[in-house]
Amino acid sequence: MEKSCEKIEEMLVDYADGQLSTRDSKKVAEHLEKCEHCRKILGALHKSLELTGVIWADGLAETKDIRAPIPLKHRKIPWSGYAAGAACIILLLTTSIVWRALIRPAEKEINFADIERSITEAGNAARLLAATELLAEYPDAQTIVKQQYRYIVETYPETTAANKAKLKIQ
Amino acid sequence: MNGINADIEIRLKQRAGEKSSKLKLMDVFYAELGCLKRIAAGFGLSASDGEDVLQDVSIKVLERSGENRTHQEYIRWLTKVTINRCLTEHRRRRSYYRQTHEILKRRAETKTKPNRTDEKVINAEELEIVRQSMQKLDDSLLGPVVLRYFCDLNSKEVGEILGLKASTVRSRLREARLILAKRLLERGVGP
Repeated sequence: MEKSCEKIEEMLVDYADGQLSTRDSKKVAEHLEKCEHCRKILGALHKSLELTGVIWADGLAETKDIRAPIPLKHRKIPWSGYAAGAACIILLLTTSIVWRALIRPAEKEINFADIERSITEAGNAARLLAATELLAEYPDAQTIVKQQYRYIVETYPETTAANKAKLKIQ
Repeated sequence: MNGINADIEIRLKQRAGEKSSKLKLMDVFYAELGCLKRIAAGFGLSASDGEDVLQDVSIKVLERSGENRTHQEYIRWLTKVTINRCLTEHRRRRSYYRQTHEILKRRAETKTKPNRTDEKVINAEELEIVRQSMQKLDDSLLGPVVLRYFCDLNSKEVGEILGLKASTVRSRLREARLILAKRLLERGVGP
Protein backbone atom coordinates (compact mmCIF):
# COMPACT_ATOMS: atom_id res chain seq x y z
CA MET A 1 0.00 0.00 0.00
CA GLU A 2 1.36 3.37 -1.00
CA LYS A 3 1.61 6.26 1.40
CA SER A 4 -0.94 8.21 -0.60
CA CYS A 5 -3.36 5.27 -0.20
CA GLU A 6 -3.37 5.77 3.60
CA LYS A 7 -4.62 9.33 3.17
CA ILE A 8 -7.19 8.31 0.57
CA GLU A 9 -8.39 5.41 2.72
CA GLU A 10 -9.27 7.87 5.45
CA MET A 11 -11.53 9.66 3.00
CA LEU A 12 -12.99 6.60 1.33
CA VAL A 13 -15.92 6.13 3.71
CA ASP A 14 -16.97 9.76 3.35
CA TYR A 15 -16.46 9.43 -0.41
CA ALA A 16 -18.69 6.34 -0.49
CA ASP A 17 -21.32 8.19 1.54
CA GLY A 18 -21.08 11.28 -0.67
CA GLN A 19 -19.96 13.41 2.27
CA LEU A 20 -16.77 14.80 0.80
CA SER A 21 -16.28 18.27 -0.59
CA THR A 22 -16.09 18.55 -4.37
CA ARG A 23 -12.34 19.12 -4.18
CA ASP A 24 -11.64 16.10 -1.99
CA SER A 25 -14.06 14.00 -3.96
CA LYS A 26 -12.22 14.79 -7.18
CA LYS A 27 -8.91 13.96 -5.51
CA VAL A 28 -10.20 10.55 -4.39
CA ALA A 29 -11.73 9.81 -7.80
CA GLU A 30 -8.39 10.55 -9.51
CA HIS A 31 -6.61 8.24 -7.09
CA LEU A 32 -9.14 5.47 -7.60
CA GLU A 33 -8.56 5.49 -11.34
CA LYS A 34 -5.00 4.35 -10.89
CA CYS A 35 -5.18 2.36 -7.60
CA GLU A 36 -6.74 -1.09 -7.62
CA HIS A 37 -6.23 -1.56 -3.87
CA CYS A 38 -8.37 1.45 -3.00
CA ARG A 39 -10.95 0.46 -5.62
CA LYS A 40 -11.26 -2.91 -3.89
CA ILE A 41 -11.73 -1.24 -0.53
CA LEU A 42 -14.38 1.05 -1.97
CA GLY A 43 -16.18 -1.92 -3.49
CA ALA A 44 -15.99 -3.78 -0.17
CA LEU A 45 -17.34 -0.70 1.64
CA HIS A 46 -20.39 -0.69 -0.62
CA LYS A 47 -20.85 -4.44 -0.39
CA SER A 48 -20.51 -4.62 3.40
CA LEU A 49 -23.09 -1.87 3.84
CA GLU A 50 -25.43 -3.57 1.39
CA LEU A 51 -25.12 -6.88 3.27
CA THR A 52 -25.54 -5.15 6.62
CA GLY A 53 -28.75 -3.70 5.22
CA VAL A 54 -29.97 -7.21 4.45
CA ILE A 55 -29.32 -8.28 8.05
CA TRP A 56 -31.03 -5.18 9.40
CA ALA A 57 -34.03 -5.63 7.11
CA ASP A 58 -34.41 -9.19 8.37
CA GLY A 59 -34.23 -7.96 11.97
CA LEU A 60 -36.75 -5.23 11.24
CA ALA A 61 -39.21 -7.78 9.85
CA GLU A 62 -38.93 -9.63 13.13
CA THR A 63 -39.44 -6.55 15.28
CA LYS A 64 -42.88 -6.09 13.72
CA ASP A 65 -43.96 -8.89 16.04
CA ILE A 66 -42.89 -6.93 19.09
CA ARG A 67 -45.94 -5.95 21.09
CA ALA A 68 -46.24 -2.44 22.38
CA PRO A 69 -45.11 -2.60 26.00
CA ILE A 70 -47.66 -2.01 28.69
CA PRO A 71 -45.78 0.04 31.26
CA LEU A 72 -45.81 -1.44 34.73
CA LYS A 73 -46.81 1.28 37.10
CA HIS A 74 -45.10 1.50 40.45
CA ARG A 75 -48.27 2.02 42.37
CA LYS A 76 -48.55 2.47 46.09
CA ILE A 77 -50.66 -0.29 47.58
CA PRO A 78 -53.78 1.36 49.06
CA TRP A 79 -53.65 -0.53 52.37
CA SER A 80 -56.31 1.66 53.99
CA GLY A 81 -58.70 0.85 51.14
CA TYR A 82 -58.02 -2.88 51.43
CA ALA A 83 -58.49 -2.73 55.23
CA ALA A 84 -61.83 -0.92 54.87
CA GLY A 85 -62.99 -3.51 52.33
CA ALA A 86 -61.96 -6.41 54.55
CA ALA A 87 -63.72 -4.83 57.57
CA CYS A 88 -66.92 -4.43 55.53
CA ILE A 89 -66.83 -8.09 54.46
CA ILE A 90 -66.25 -9.30 58.05
CA LEU A 91 -69.09 -7.08 59.35
CA LEU A 92 -71.44 -8.38 56.67
CA LEU A 93 -70.60 -12.01 57.42
CA THR A 94 -71.02 -11.54 61.18
CA THR A 95 -74.41 -9.82 60.73
CA SER A 96 -75.54 -12.57 58.42
CA ILE A 97 -74.56 -15.33 60.89
CA VAL A 98 -76.22 -13.56 63.85
CA TRP A 99 -79.39 -12.90 61.85
CA ARG A 100 -79.60 -16.54 60.78
CA ALA A 101 -79.16 -17.66 64.38
CA LEU A 102 -81.66 -15.26 65.98
CA ILE A 103 -84.32 -14.34 63.46
CA ARG A 104 -84.62 -17.22 61.08
CA PRO A 105 -86.53 -20.24 62.48
CA ALA A 106 -84.56 -23.39 62.74
CA GLU A 107 -85.55 -25.79 60.06
CA LYS A 108 -86.26 -29.31 61.18
CA GLU A 109 -84.01 -31.66 59.41
CA ILE A 110 -85.69 -34.78 58.07
CA ASN A 111 -83.72 -37.90 58.71
CA PHE A 112 -84.20 -41.55 57.75
CA ALA A 113 -85.60 -42.59 61.17
CA ASP A 114 -88.42 -40.01 60.88
CA ILE A 115 -89.34 -41.23 57.42
CA GLU A 116 -89.34 -44.83 58.64
CA ARG A 117 -91.52 -43.90 61.62
CA SER A 118 -94.05 -42.09 59.39
CA ILE A 119 -94.32 -45.11 57.09
CA THR A 120 -94.80 -47.48 60.03
CA GLU A 121 -97.49 -45.25 61.56
CA ALA A 122 -99.30 -44.93 58.23
CA GLY A 123 -99.20 -48.70 57.82
CA ASN A 124 -100.44 -49.39 61.34
CA ALA A 125 -103.25 -46.85 60.97
CA ALA A 126 -104.29 -48.32 57.61
CA ARG A 127 -104.37 -51.86 59.03
CA LEU A 128 -106.40 -50.70 62.04
CA LEU A 129 -108.79 -48.80 59.80
CA ALA A 130 -109.31 -51.84 57.55
CA ALA A 131 -110.01 -54.06 60.56
CA THR A 132 -112.42 -51.47 62.02
CA GLU A 133 -114.30 -51.21 58.72
CA LEU A 134 -114.75 -55.02 58.71
CA LEU A 135 -116.00 -54.83 62.29
CA ALA A 136 -118.43 -52.04 61.33
CA GLU A 137 -120.41 -54.55 59.29
CA TYR A 138 -121.65 -56.11 62.53
CA PRO A 139 -124.47 -54.00 64.10
CA ASP A 140 -123.60 -55.16 67.65
CA ALA A 141 -120.07 -53.82 67.45
CA GLN A 142 -120.87 -50.15 66.71
CA THR A 143 -119.63 -48.89 70.09
CA ILE A 144 -116.27 -50.64 69.71
CA VAL A 145 -116.03 -49.42 66.11
CA LYS A 146 -116.41 -45.78 67.22
CA GLN A 147 -113.79 -46.26 69.93
CA GLN A 148 -111.46 -47.75 67.30
CA TYR A 149 -111.95 -44.80 64.94
CA ARG A 150 -111.21 -42.35 67.77
CA TYR A 151 -108.13 -44.36 68.67
CA ILE A 152 -106.87 -44.10 65.07
CA VAL A 153 -107.50 -40.33 64.98
CA GLU A 154 -105.76 -39.75 68.33
CA THR A 155 -102.85 -42.15 67.89
CA TYR A 156 -102.03 -41.56 64.23
CA PRO A 157 -103.34 -38.01 63.63
CA GLU A 158 -101.19 -37.22 60.56
CA THR A 159 -102.08 -40.27 58.55
CA THR A 160 -104.59 -40.74 55.73
CA ALA A 161 -106.30 -43.41 57.76
CA ALA A 162 -106.88 -40.88 60.58
CA ASN A 163 -108.58 -38.52 58.12
CA LYS A 164 -110.87 -41.31 56.91
CA ALA A 165 -111.60 -42.31 60.54
CA LYS A 166 -112.56 -38.68 61.30
CA LEU A 167 -115.13 -38.79 58.49
CA LYS A 168 -116.60 -42.07 59.85
CA ILE A 169 -117.03 -40.56 63.34
CA GLN A 170 -118.84 -37.50 61.93
CA MET B 1 -55.81 38.13 49.12
CA ASN B 2 -54.65 38.64 45.53
CA GLY B 3 -51.23 37.35 46.48
CA ILE B 4 -52.73 34.14 47.89
CA ASN B 5 -54.86 33.64 44.79
CA ALA B 6 -51.85 34.18 42.57
CA ASP B 7 -49.89 31.64 44.62
CA ILE B 8 -52.68 29.07 44.31
CA GLU B 9 -52.90 29.73 40.59
CA ILE B 10 -49.16 29.18 40.16
CA ARG B 11 -49.35 25.90 42.09
CA LEU B 12 -52.29 24.73 40.02
CA LYS B 13 -50.42 25.57 36.84
CA GLN B 14 -47.37 23.70 38.11
CA ARG B 15 -49.52 20.66 38.85
CA ALA B 16 -51.18 20.84 35.45
CA GLY B 17 -47.73 21.16 33.89
CA GLU B 18 -46.51 18.06 35.72
CA LYS B 19 -49.50 16.08 34.56
CA SER B 20 -49.21 17.16 30.94
CA SER B 21 -45.45 16.43 30.85
CA LYS B 22 -46.12 12.94 32.23
CA LEU B 23 -48.61 12.30 29.50
CA LYS B 24 -46.34 13.82 26.94
CA LEU B 25 -43.32 11.60 27.61
CA MET B 26 -45.44 8.44 27.38
CA ASP B 27 -47.08 9.81 24.25
CA VAL B 28 -43.67 10.45 22.71
CA PHE B 29 -42.63 6.91 23.66
CA TYR B 30 -45.59 5.39 21.84
CA ALA B 31 -45.18 7.75 18.89
CA GLU B 32 -41.50 6.79 18.57
CA LEU B 33 -42.09 3.08 19.13
CA GLY B 34 -41.46 2.28 15.47
CA CYS B 35 -38.11 4.05 15.58
CA LEU B 36 -37.16 2.33 18.84
CA LYS B 37 -38.06 -1.05 17.33
CA ARG B 38 -35.83 -0.16 14.41
CA ILE B 39 -32.93 0.47 16.79
CA ALA B 40 -33.51 -2.93 18.43
CA ALA B 41 -33.53 -4.52 14.97
CA GLY B 42 -30.34 -2.62 14.06
CA PHE B 43 -28.59 -4.14 17.05
CA GLY B 44 -29.65 -7.57 15.81
CA LEU B 45 -31.82 -8.43 18.79
CA SER B 46 -34.45 -11.12 18.68
CA ALA B 47 -38.12 -10.15 18.96
CA SER B 48 -38.28 -11.28 22.59
CA ASP B 49 -35.07 -9.44 23.53
CA GLY B 50 -36.35 -6.37 21.71
CA GLU B 51 -39.60 -6.61 23.63
CA ASP B 52 -37.67 -6.80 26.93
CA VAL B 53 -35.65 -3.76 25.95
CA LEU B 54 -38.74 -1.72 25.12
CA GLN B 55 -40.46 -2.83 28.32
CA ASP B 56 -37.46 -1.59 30.32
CA VAL B 57 -37.46 1.67 28.39
CA SER B 58 -41.17 2.16 29.14
CA ILE B 59 -40.44 1.75 32.86
CA LYS B 60 -37.69 4.37 32.61
CA VAL B 61 -40.19 6.62 30.85
CA LEU B 62 -42.50 6.34 33.85
CA GLU B 63 -39.64 7.05 36.26
CA ARG B 64 -38.59 10.15 34.32
CA SER B 65 -42.07 11.39 33.46
CA GLY B 66 -41.87 14.23 35.97
CA GLU B 67 -39.05 15.94 34.10
CA ASN B 68 -39.70 18.89 31.90
CA ARG B 69 -38.10 18.51 28.49
CA THR B 70 -38.74 19.58 24.95
CA HIS B 71 -40.10 17.13 22.41
CA GLN B 72 -36.70 16.79 20.74
CA GLU B 73 -35.00 16.22 24.07
CA TYR B 74 -37.51 13.48 24.86
CA ILE B 75 -36.78 11.74 21.55
CA ARG B 76 -33.03 12.04 22.07
CA TRP B 77 -33.33 10.69 25.60
CA LEU B 78 -35.54 7.79 24.50
CA THR B 79 -33.11 6.89 21.71
CA LYS B 80 -30.15 7.03 24.06
CA VAL B 81 -31.84 4.87 26.71
CA THR B 82 -32.88 2.33 24.06
CA ILE B 83 -29.38 2.20 22.59
CA ASN B 84 -27.78 1.69 26.00
CA ARG B 85 -30.21 -1.10 26.75
CA CYS B 86 -29.61 -2.67 23.32
CA LEU B 87 -25.85 -2.48 23.90
CA THR B 88 -26.28 -4.38 27.17
CA GLU B 89 -28.02 -7.13 25.23
CA HIS B 90 -25.37 -6.96 22.51
CA ARG B 91 -22.63 -7.49 25.12
CA ARG B 92 -24.32 -10.74 26.05
CA ARG B 93 -23.60 -11.76 22.47
CA ARG B 94 -27.13 -12.64 21.68
CA SER B 95 -27.22 -10.13 18.85
CA TYR B 96 -27.17 -11.02 15.16
CA TYR B 97 -27.96 -14.60 16.10
CA ARG B 98 -30.09 -15.31 13.04
CA GLN B 99 -28.47 -17.82 10.75
CA THR B 100 -27.54 -16.66 7.27
CA HIS B 101 -29.53 -19.34 5.48
CA GLU B 102 -32.63 -18.32 7.47
CA ILE B 103 -32.14 -14.67 6.54
CA LEU B 104 -31.83 -15.56 2.87
CA LYS B 105 -34.81 -17.90 3.00
CA ARG B 106 -37.02 -15.27 4.62
CA ARG B 107 -35.76 -12.69 2.17
CA ALA B 108 -36.67 -14.93 -0.76
CA GLU B 109 -40.11 -15.55 0.69
CA THR B 110 -40.96 -11.93 1.37
CA LYS B 111 -39.71 -10.36 -1.85
CA THR B 112 -42.04 -10.10 -4.78
CA LYS B 113 -40.97 -11.66 -8.05
CA PRO B 114 -40.57 -8.52 -10.23
CA ASN B 115 -38.16 -6.99 -7.67
CA ARG B 116 -36.12 -10.14 -7.37
CA THR B 117 -35.04 -10.00 -11.00
CA ASP B 118 -33.58 -6.53 -10.49
CA GLU B 119 -31.80 -7.41 -7.27
CA LYS B 120 -28.24 -8.49 -6.90
CA VAL B 121 -27.82 -12.04 -5.78
CA ILE B 122 -26.81 -12.18 -2.14
CA ASN B 123 -23.98 -14.56 -1.49
CA ALA B 124 -24.53 -16.58 1.70
CA GLU B 125 -20.81 -16.70 2.50
CA GLU B 126 -20.42 -12.94 2.20
CA LEU B 127 -23.52 -12.37 4.31
CA GLU B 128 -22.17 -14.68 6.99
CA ILE B 129 -18.85 -12.79 7.11
CA VAL B 130 -20.67 -9.48 7.59
CA ARG B 131 -23.02 -11.01 10.18
CA GLN B 132 -20.06 -12.28 12.21
CA SER B 133 -18.25 -8.96 11.81
CA MET B 134 -21.29 -7.09 13.12
CA GLN B 135 -21.47 -9.48 16.05
CA LYS B 136 -17.84 -8.73 16.93
CA LEU B 137 -17.99 -5.00 16.32
CA ASP B 138 -17.08 -2.92 19.35
CA ASP B 139 -19.91 -1.23 21.26
CA SER B 140 -18.44 2.21 20.62
CA LEU B 141 -18.64 1.58 16.86
CA LEU B 142 -21.91 -0.32 16.63
CA GLY B 143 -24.12 2.45 18.03
CA PRO B 144 -22.99 5.11 15.54
CA VAL B 145 -23.24 2.63 12.62
CA VAL B 146 -26.82 1.64 13.47
CA LEU B 147 -27.97 5.22 13.98
CA ARG B 148 -26.21 6.59 10.90
CA TYR B 149 -26.90 3.89 8.35
CA PHE B 150 -30.05 2.19 9.62
CA CYS B 151 -31.86 5.04 11.36
CA ASP B 152 -30.71 7.58 8.74
CA LEU B 153 -29.45 10.16 11.22
CA ASN B 154 -26.57 12.44 10.35
CA SER B 155 -23.32 12.57 12.30
CA LYS B 156 -24.42 15.61 14.29
CA GLU B 157 -27.68 13.97 15.37
CA VAL B 158 -25.87 10.75 16.23
CA GLY B 159 -23.40 12.76 18.29
CA GLU B 160 -26.19 14.51 20.18
CA ILE B 161 -27.77 11.18 21.09
CA LEU B 162 -24.57 9.43 22.08
CA GLY B 163 -22.97 12.47 23.70
CA LEU B 164 -20.15 12.63 21.16
CA LYS B 165 -18.76 15.29 18.87
CA ALA B 166 -19.81 15.00 15.23
CA SER B 167 -16.15 14.59 14.26
CA THR B 168 -15.81 11.68 16.72
CA VAL B 169 -18.89 10.07 15.24
CA ARG B 170 -17.44 10.40 11.74
CA SER B 171 -14.12 8.87 12.77
CA ARG B 172 -15.94 5.95 14.46
CA LEU B 173 -18.06 5.43 11.37
CA ARG B 174 -14.95 5.37 9.22
CA GLU B 175 -13.33 2.86 11.54
CA ALA B 176 -16.38 0.60 11.65
CA ARG B 177 -16.97 0.68 7.89
CA LEU B 178 -13.32 -0.08 7.14
CA ILE B 179 -13.34 -3.00 9.60
CA LEU B 180 -16.38 -4.53 7.87
CA ALA B 181 -14.95 -3.92 4.39
CA LYS B 182 -11.51 -5.28 5.23
CA ARG B 183 -12.94 -8.42 6.80
CA LEU B 184 -14.67 -9.13 3.52
CA LEU B 185 -11.44 -8.56 1.61
CA GLU B 186 -9.43 -10.69 4.07
CA ARG B 187 -11.79 -13.59 3.39
CA GLY B 188 -11.17 -13.21 -0.32
CA VAL B 189 -14.48 -11.57 -1.15
CA GLY B 190 -14.04 -9.01 -3.87
CA PRO B 191 -16.35 -6.22 -4.90
